[in-house]
Amino acid sequence: MARSFTLSPTLSPSVRKSVSLIYHFAERESKARYKRSLLGWFWSFMNPLTTVVVYSFVFGVVYNAEPPETTNGNAENFGLYLFTGLIVWSLFTGVVNGSMGWLIGVSDLRKKIYFPTETALLGGAAANSVQTLLEAAVLIAIMLVLANLSWTVVFLPVALVLALLFGLGIGFIVSVFNARYRDVQYLVGILLNVAFFTVPIVFTEELLNRPEVPDLARTLITWNPPSLFVEIARDATYFLEVPQWNRLLAAAAWGIVTFSIGWVYFRDQSMAISEEP
Amino acid sequence: MSVGSITVRGVSKKFRLERNRPSSIKEAVLRIGRKSDVDDFWVLRDIDLDIAPGSFFGLIGHNGSGKSTLLRLMAGIHRPTTGTIESEGRLSALLELGSGFHPDLTGRENVYLNGAMLGLSRKHMAASMDQIIEFSGIGEFIDEPVKIYSSGMYVRLGFAVAVNVDPELLLVDEVIAVGDEEFQRRCMEHMNKLRAGGTTIVLVSHNTQLMADLCDRLGWLDHGRLMKVGEPAEVIEAYLAHVDKGGNTLTTRD
Repeated sequence: MARSFTLSPTLSPSVRKSVSLIYHFAERESKARYKRSLLGWFWSFMNPLTTVVVYSFVFGVVYNAEPPETTNGNAENFGLYLFTGLIVWSLFTGVVNGSMGWLIGVSDLRKKIYFPTETALLGGAAANSVQTLLEAAVLIAIMLVLANLSWTVVFLPVALVLALLFGLGIGFIVSVFNARYRDVQYLVGILLNVAFFTVPIVFTEELLNRPEVPDLARTLITWNPPSLFVEIARDATYFLEVPQWNRLLAAAAWGIVTFSIGWVYFRDQSMAISEEP
Repeated sequence: MSVGSITVRGVSKKFRLERNRPSSIKEAVLRIGRKSDVDDFWVLRDIDLDIAPGSFFGLIGHNGSGKSTLLRLMAGIHRPTTGTIESEGRLSALLELGSGFHPDLTGRENVYLNGAMLGLSRKHMAASMDQIIEFSGIGEFIDEPVKIYSSGMYVRLGFAVAVNVDPELLLVDEVIAVGDEEFQRRCMEHMNKLRAGGTTIVLVSHNTQLMADLCDRLGWLDHGRLMKVGEPAEVIEAYLAHVDKGGNTLTTRD
């Protein structure tokens, strides 16, 4: 691999070291993902694509769910509504689920040589982000074809970055737990499956506004962090509206605070990982 | 602090031995309320040590005396429980078989990974790649995953990387013993070359003859305490006298 990347010489040596390690782990994660497969990256499109096709069929055709109406947009399609939400959701869950494996993957190495352990998680997250960028590019291309694009698309990266920060913050914490008790990964998997239905991805927000839905459930579903990220992404590319400022603010707070707490906790605990038997 | 020096001040290291340590949440929950079976085990106690730039320092002591732990603390893998360890300069460590190799990556990928961990660019590592392959003598196996390597190949590549990254500090834990006679000789030659170039070297070994030949200074560890530091001949004499008295027991819990 003769790929070279030069970093500004003004960066401190430790930052430069971390950056090249993150790059290394990211490259390894992306290579490992489709190793020994003929079609390689093709599969990374197939996964979300089949999900969208299956869900569109089940919810859009079998259950005859109405795609939410838009005032600005003109792409009222349940599949696209779903796809937007799934891009954000799979970035979040991919990082949370992946973080535990990324840490376990380097723990033997970390017992033999010192390196900043968080680079393994940041590298894995970077690889996942590349995948997300591909999916987002597909979404934007489709929206472009349907002429359903406006400047509000700038809020899509905002939603993705915040979902990534939030996922990393949680990933930092659960990966440390998982290094001690391997059941954490199963527990997290189950909790994420439950959490999927607390986010308006397969159902619409309109459905929530029916009187049968308890207020508490409505509040929880509207204001939980993944919902906020999903809704901002939807406003950006589906409804073509500027997200409500209080949602933006809440989403930013969730993302930044969770990341910071996870980071501090991980930095504090990561030295102990090399001493785990 | 000058480049190539290691300063150890009042360092103690405690490991926590947990018998029947719960390995799952279920076990942990079932054990709530029961007294946990935890033993604190001091591997190192109150170590003070100064290693001067450019010196060749050796550590001797019985199995379990804390030599390797001290080396790991110097390498930054573990954090001392009390005290401080400071080192200045690019530190390369060869601590055990396959030090810092990821089994699924090829030898070549591992060389890049190790370089990244030492803060060396891909370009730099690419430039030293031929030298590393030549030194290790593992030939075309460089593009095979290291998990298929023999223990000798592991050590050869590990040593080749550790010494070919222009270390300012080199920590070596008795691994070179795994290589064959010819390779060991090359290692010695290379370590002498590095030392001539000003690299500080810390070596751990049981081989007192080897240590007497190579080192300028020796430290003798016994049950986690630094008993003596000084001229190799003197330290070895004191160590061997202690062994003869039967002081070298394997039991490390006292």
